[in-house]
Amino acid sequence: MKDDVLTFDVRVFSLDTIKRALYRFADKCSFDIQLKDNEITVTFTSKVVDDLPVKIKNEVLDQDLRDTLAKETSNIRTLILANAFSNTGLIQ
Amino acid sequence: MSLLGKKFKLIEDFDQSIAGDYQLLPSRFSAIDKNRYVLSNEVGEYLVVTRLQLENFIRKKVPANTDFYYDLKSKHFLFDGDSNVAIDLLALKYRTKAQRIAQFTALHLFVVTLRCDYTCQYCQVSRQTDDKHAFDMSEETANKALDLVFKSPSPAIKIEFQGGEPLLNFSLIRYIVNEAKQRNLLSRKDLQFVITTNLSLLNDAVLEFCQQHDIYLSTSLDGPEKLHNGNRPRPGKNGYQLTVTAIKKAQDYLGRHKVGALMTTTENSLTQPKAIIDTYLENNLDSVFLRPLSPYGFAVKNQKAHHYDIDRWFEFYKEGLDYVFEINRQGHHFEELYTQLIVNKLLSPFSLGYVDLQSPSGAAISAIVYNYDGDVYASDESRMLAEMGDKKFRLGNVHTDSYPDIWLSNTLLDTLESTVSESLPMCTDCGFLPYCGTDPVYHYATQGDVVGHKALSGFCSKNMKIFKHVIQLLEDDTEAREILLSWVH
Repeated sequence: MKDDVLTFDVRVFSLDTIKRALYRFADKCSFDIQLKDNEITVTFTSKVVDDLPVKIKNEVLDQDLRDTLAKETSNIRTLILANAFSNTGLIQ
Repeated sequence: MSLLGKKFKLIEDFDQSIAGDYQLLPSRFSAIDKNRYVLSNEVGEYLVVTRLQLENFIRKKVPANTDFYYDLKSKHFLFDGDSNVAIDLLALKYRTKAQRIAQFTALHLFVVTLRCDYTCQYCQVSRQTDDKHAFDMSEETANKALDLVFKSPSPAIKIEFQGGEPLLNFSLIRYIVNEAKQRNLLSRKDLQFVITTNLSLLNDAVLEFCQQHDIYLSTSLDGPEKLHNGNRPRPGKNGYQLTVTAIKKAQDYLGRHKVGALMTTTENSLTQPKAIIDTYLENNLDSVFLRPLSPYGFAVKNQKAHHYDIDRWFEFYKEGLDYVFEINRQGHHFEELYTQLIVNKLLSPFSLGYVDLQSPSGAAISAIVYNYDGDVYASDESRMLAEMGDKKFRLGNVHTDSYPDIWLSNTLLDTLESTVSESLPMCTDCGFLPYCGTDPVYHYATQGDVVGHKALSGFCSKNMKIFKHVIQLLEDDTEAREILLSWVH
């Protein structure tokens, strides 16, 4: 059992994206996250899953895509919901 | 042909879409295996895509005039200059899905007694006593509960009698059915009744009453004789024989489709899914519900043990489902009910009234429980938790609290607010969100928090495994797909 370290460039992936990705692995281990200059350093101890670093990197990529999707569609989502509940008396 | 050709433009002439010039519509995605993702939108339409397709879609690199582009467009994952009707259609479909929230509470459970002739080890609520007054619901309490039932705006009302063993207080069931029907002359709702019973007290008088009032019987059948009797001890050790004899008698009297059975899964069930399903077939039942192990046993297990249980249960479920497919391939229509529910959620536009798979949770707004003493609980699990000493989800009492007191109580509103999956960590960007929900009582019982951490949640783990498995079957197994499609109602 040893400490693994992953580093991410904050100009490529946001801190929020990294945190969202790590949250999903809370059943496997706990994480220490540090931000210094432009580098996010994640330290963790993996004892259950050998390929955990690879899985984390893939999840970070997925979360980055989710971030793009969410940002681009948030206004449209609001528009759809407002449209769905218009004339129902449920929204003012 | 040339004349006709001049009259009609080519398909391409109508297609105004330009490569890369499209806008994304709200959607979510989750991996279903190493190479594929399920991409779903707000109303539950989905596509299974590769990682490359997913990335191309979100980075707006999907070429127009390709099959993938048309799939994305027709299922409302994107819109372009050609048409912006997608937003109106999505709003309409979203409203259809949300309709159940406006309709409100349809299922009302009456615990008419806690007395029971069985001593099931996993049951927290039953009492062995001859004192009828201590644990039976009174007519006065029933009347107060009926006052609340008929305040629900739902056009359909189902009253389900639970226990203990509800037939031990059959006189009250008679009273409630007659009183409800009388009140319904004015309310004119679609009124239905169910008795959830072990059937040991079934007799001709009960059957005649059920036939007269179109009452559905739901019983418990855990599997073969040894398993059933091991799970459900009673004096005489003859529970299985009593149950199957009564199922046959009720089917003959009321018709096959007026009798259903549910199983409780225990450790001993996990090695014998085929034998359990065979028991259902032998007893002329059309479906089985391979239910998960309940966390509300003698004690709620720790997280690690419970996850192990989920893994073992999932193997049991898959083996059982394979066997159900084999039965269907032999020409016998037989359904596994949880899978049927998931397939209907995946492939139909309607919200289904299954309390655990709703956002917000169906606790109290889809189903509510009136306990024998008049206490009102948000769900049957809330009542079990209360019997284990924790009344966290008690919403009030029919004798002291009004309809607004109960349905606008902080206990309920706080719980519901915590169960809007769209705003929960991990759920918010999960591709399975449109088909899933959250169970506040489960998460409270296992994690001490109604939201719970989904990475640690057996509820999340179980449902993710099932969603992935069912979508893989629909995508990869032609025979299984045909069978699953025949279960869509």
